[in-house]
Amino acid sequence: MRMNKLRADVLALLFLLPFLAVYGLFTIWPMIKGVEMTFYKWTLIKKMKYVGWDNYSKMFHDQDVWAAIWHSTIFVILTTPTMIVLAILLAMIANRKSRLQKLYRSVFFLPSVLSVAVASYLGLFIFQPYNGFVNTLLHLIQLLPDNKEIFWLTETNLSWIALTLITLWWTVGFNFILYLSAMQDIPDEIVEAARLDGATDSKIFWNITLPYLTPITKTIAMLQIISSFKVFLQIYIITGGGPLDKTRPIIQLIYQTGFRKNDLGYAATMSYMLFVILLVLSAIQYFVNNRKGANA
Amino acid sequence: MKWKWLYRIVSFVFGFLFIAPIVWMLVVSIKKEGMKIVTLVDWFTPPYSFAVYDDILSGTKLTNWMFNSFFVAICVTLFTVTFAAMAGFVMSKLPFRYKSAMFFLVLSGLLIPGEAIIIPLYQVAKDMSLLNSYQGLIIPVLASPVAVIVLKSFFDGVPNDLLESVQIDGGGTWRIFTQIMLPLNRPALASMAILTFIGSWNNFLWPFLSVTNDNLFTLPMGIPTLMSQYSEDYVKPMVVNTISSIPIILLFVIFERQIIKGVSLSGIKG
Repeated sequence: MRMNKLRADVLALLFLLPFLAVYGLFTIWPMIKGVEMTFYKWTLIKKMKYVGWDNYSKMFHDQDVWAAIWHSTIFVILTTPTMIVLAILLAMIANRKSRLQKLYRSVFFLPSVLSVAVASYLGLFIFQPYNGFVNTLLHLIQLLPDNKEIFWLTETNLSWIALTLITLWWTVGFNFILYLSAMQDIPDEIVEAARLDGATDSKIFWNITLPYLTPITKTIAMLQIISSFKVFLQIYIITGGGPLDKTRPIIQLIYQTGFRKNDLGYAATMSYMLFVILLVLSAIQYFVNNRKGANA
Repeated sequence: MKWKWLYRIVSFVFGFLFIAPIVWMLVVSIKKEGMKIVTLVDWFTPPYSFAVYDDILSGTKLTNWMFNSFFVAICVTLFTVTFAAMAGFVMSKLPFRYKSAMFFLVLSGLLIPGEAIIIPLYQVAKDMSLLNSYQGLIIPVLASPVAVIVLKSFFDGVPNDLLESVQIDGGGTWRIFTQIMLPLNRPALASMAILTFIGSWNNFLWPFLSVTNDNLFTLPMGIPTLMSQYSEDYVKPMVVNTISSIPIILLFVIFERQIIKGVSLSGIKG
């Protein structure tokens, strides 16, 4: 648009003002404030005293911090590949022409609209021994003998499996939709031509469908890694971080340090560690996406 | 032929696994309390009862929290999208000074995860007396750099010639924004609105830290508070879950097409 310089500056400022005010006050300013907090003993009531680098040196020797980061990492490792495989599989189901096509699409997306608290509590009860849905279902189809129970939420490895299954169920809908629309963007002529040349379904999948899905897969993978690293409420509700803090993720530790142990300064220090980790992950994402741009 | 059946069976199994927990939630919620459950079938057989629904609706603040969740999500969506559209518009179409610096500032916001600044944000909100208020739940989350960037990239697609011809006809900047840019980009705005709404609907960490007054709880906070009072029984928790989910499921059923479109659109530019 054409206009004189001064007028453009004033107008731009007016249009930007609401966004900038909120962004400045509640994103940029806390970023700066947080740096200050890391150098203090700082409680919920007030700033106590300057402690220099103490919070940092404490953090690097704190077993709980490293354990929590490891737990968040485990969650990333468990959810990312399974999320992608499941999302592609569901998209293939909903992409096949059939009378139930629309129904499948709705059913696969439906859990995604539930509140995180609802999904988590549903998960908690689904995986209960004795009366829970999963165990009673396994009894019913005789995969689990009647006199045996699986204690999903009190054994560390099983807890991870239960947490992963719940998270997949609750969040796969978004990625499923992204894959579905990517699949529908594949030109019909290409698939038809391949079929005329005698390509089988599996050949078409490996040689046409999957390559088409590569760009979106890179994006989904990175976003999933970042969001899985920030997991909190599902774990907090379903296992409480247990058994024995063996599933406690980093955000839960930050929360407990700040608000249960009344140590905001130390919690802010851990937040910065989280920030650095996420920054590195984002940088990798940027790098991966840009390489994609260069190749295309 | 063999493959066709395999496909059908696999599809059916996954469809079942996705819908079953929700069906189970509904069925358990209308089960009479205190019944002996031995097998899965027992959950599905009578006696049924809606008594617990009455208890929960009249004896708890659940509907109050549901209102809060909707109120906060609607306000957040409205303001976030409006602010982001205004910012995205000038960044796309106005030739102002420091534009690239501005773009860089917003872009760097993509790298700042809300979770990582939540502790200092608590302190900032406390200093501004925003804790325990609707304003405190809503205002701090209204700046979405992602929405600005995405909307800017959509606005970039509107040809400049069109805007200039309106300018020649005497249309001001505000008119260009409200009568051309916004209507032309309705799908993108709807997509951002839907994602913002879902994000706010599920926002837990910030309400959890900033609100202690249970009249101001949103659902993700209220539900755990309520659940922690219930012991072994399954019926009450499932009633709470069901009541909390009915409005959002209805919204999904009504707006399914738009929601799915909105989500898939977000993948194109994201």
